[in-house]
Amino acid sequence: MRLEYFQMIDRFVAVDVGGRVARAICTVPLQSTVFEGHFPGYPLMPGVLLIECMAQTTGWLVSALTGFTGLPALAGVKEGKIRNAVFPGDELEFEGKVIHEGSGYAVGEAKGWCKGAVICDATLTYRIVPYPSAELRAGLWEWAERINFPAKEFAK
Amino acid sequence: MRGPMRPGLLAPGWAGASSSKDQRARLMSTTFDKVAEIIAETCDIPRENIKPESHAINDLEIDSLDFLDIAFAIDKAFGIKLPLEQWTQEVNDGKATTDQYFVLKNLCERIDELIAAKGA
Repeated sequence: MRLEYFQMIDRFVAVDVGGRVARAICTVPLQSTVFEGHFPGYPLMPGVLLIECMAQTTGWLVSALTGFTGLPALAGVKEGKIRNAVFPGDELEFEGKVIHEGSGYAVGEAKGWCKGAVICDATLTYRIVPYPSAELRAGLWEWAERINFPAKEFAK
Repeated sequence: MRGPMRPGLLAPGWAGASSSKDQRARLMSTTFDKVAEIIAETCDIPRENIKPESHAINDLEIDSLDFLDIAFAIDKAFGIKLPLEQWTQEVNDGKATTDQYFVLKNLCERIDELIAAKGA
C-alpha cells in the first residue's frame, strides 16, 4: 500500500472480467504520517481508507469492463460498513464485483477481509468520466503492471 | 358450469376490442406508475407530487447523482439500459431538449421503446 500516494493496492491476485469479479491484496504499512495523527499513541487504519481500498479494487474492474474508455469516479457509497479495526502491518484482501454496467455509470459491491474476518463492505456507484488528461491514461499501463492488473488486454 | 367472468381474471395482455392507442396508453400508465414509485423511494419525494408532466430536473429538482440511482433502479426494474451518455450528448449538441428525456411521460415513452426494442 502506497499510502502517501493514495494507491492502495499492492497486487491483484485474481481478475475475472467476464465473471465481473476481482480480488486484490493491500498491506497496511508499518509507518506512515497518517498514523501519527490517527491516533497519537494508537495507530489505527482510518475507515475511509478501507472504503478507498474497496473503491480502487472495484474501480480497476470497472475500467476493464468499460475498455479503459474513461475514469471510474467514485460517486456513491451505500451501506458502507467498517466491521473491525485494522492496524499497521495487517495484510488485507479485497473483493470487488460489478453488479450493473449502465450507460456512463456502474454499480459494484465490495468486501474486505483481514485474517479471514470481514472488516468492511459497501455498495459503490461510479460515474465514468472522460479521462481529464492524456497523461493519466498513459500512466495507467505502468501502474497496472505494478499491481498485476491485465489492463492492456481490455483497453479499447 | 362456468361462473361469471371477472375482469380481474383477464390475462394482462388481453386487449379485447380496444385500439392500439388504448394499449399504448395502458402500457405507459403501468410504466409511469413504476417510475414514479422508483423516484418517490429513491429521492424521498411524495408520490402525489410526481406527475406525468413533471420535469425530473426542473420540477422535481433531482440532481445528476440521484438520477444515477434512478437510472440503476429503472435499468433493473425493466431489464434495459437507459442510454444516458447518448442523451447527454444530444442535449449538449443541441440536437435534443432535456424535456424529451426528463419530462416523465417522455421518459416513460423512451422506456417503453427500449422494452419493445429488447423484445423485437
